[in-house]
Amino acid sequence: MTTRYRRHPELRLTALEGEGVVLHLGTRHYFSVSETGLALLEALQTAQTADDLARALAARYTVTLEHAAASVRTFLERCRTLDVLLVEREP
Amino acid sequence: MTPAIAVHCAHADVAAAVRAWLAQGRLEPSSPLTLAIEVGDPALVGLDGRAAFRQPGVVLRAGPPQGGVRIEWEAAPAVADLPPGATTARVVLSTAAAARLDECLRTFLLTVLVLLLRRTGWHHIHAAVALDPRERGWLIAGNAEAGKSTTAALLASCGWGVGTDDVSFLAGRGGAVSAIAYRTPIALRPGGRRLIRHVAAAGGVLLPERRKVGYWPEELGGRWVSRVEPEVILFTSVGTGDGVTQAEPLGQREALIELIRWSAWVILEPELAEEHLALLTALAQQAQSYRVTLGRDLFARPARLAELVA
Repeated sequence: MTTRYRRHPELRLTALEGEGVVLHLGTRHYFSVSETGLALLEALQTAQTADDLARALAARYTVTLEHAAASVRTFLERCRTLDVLLVEREP
Repeated sequence: MTPAIAVHCAHADVAAAVRAWLAQGRLEPSSPLTLAIEVGDPALVGLDGRAAFRQPGVVLRAGPPQGGVRIEWEAAPAVADLPPGATTARVVLSTAAAARLDECLRTFLLTVLVLLLRRTGWHHIHAAVALDPRERGWLIAGNAEAGKSTTAALLASCGWGVGTDDVSFLAGRGGAVSAIAYRTPIALRPGGRRLIRHVAAAGGVLLPERRKVGYWPEELGGRWVSRVEPEVILFTSVGTGDGVTQAEPLGQREALIELIRWSAWVILEPELAEEHLALLTALAQQAQSYRVTLGRDLFARPARLAELVA
């Protein structure tokens, strides 16, 4: 089974000083994200697997794929608690 | 001249009071808006099952399926509907609401006006507006206990321009963000009144329901300004005891988070939220922001505020 993630359509992102602020129009919450978090949320405008995201992160920040994968896992877990992702599962 | 915000209302007393209230506020949006008010039965407008978003005194319902915004007053039956993109708000006041018109204007109809003005590109922020002697625009944001009114009165007493102590609107103009003031008296509690020179002689207007006295900036030695381009933003709180006033500079991201906090309507109506968020972002970039703890030393040395952000 493949799991793909997409950012919630009610998210609005804004970049400032290399970092980001996220406004969720659905839950009416807002929070700041790091540069890496902003990059991941921008990538999640289209559906992505965790591996897709890790590869993109590793390429952008010249870190190992393992390190990037760990960052993506932490990020996705945090996103789930904030209800900012849509999850699509394909057989 | 035709007012920019028209009032259509068959009830003569209500119409006159609403027109007087709008005239006092001195808001001149660039495109015409209408408040279509009837005194009747708000229940006939129909139920709205969308999730409630509560703000002090009002309940808002927005989003799908119909879009737009429904505003309900909690103090007495009153409902307003703003369909998506509409520049007319349809308002129905019960006779009970019409009987409490001063309060209704200050809470419910002000909220309707705030959301109607969004359709002209004016986006509300809970902030005082001032202009210092160097012609720099200031925005002072925070909640009802944050010292905005006392600070605005203090600055007016030092000859500054003051637009409002509480309600302002952000709008883009010529590539910059302006803060437009909704003119109301600066509302002071007894503590603030005792501490500011000029206040004792100014007289003021009693605001009994708020247990405050209102003063125009001109009464305090200042002048009224309708609009500024903020270069300084303060997010204030009142310190305890005899502490001195302190200011901590904020980065743009922290400033934007604070601006969102004091601009609660940003989350309503996605098509307007993007414009609202873009203005807040531009403002965070345009101005230098500070988190300020206000101390009693400011009453003796008001100039300290400007020195802290020099």
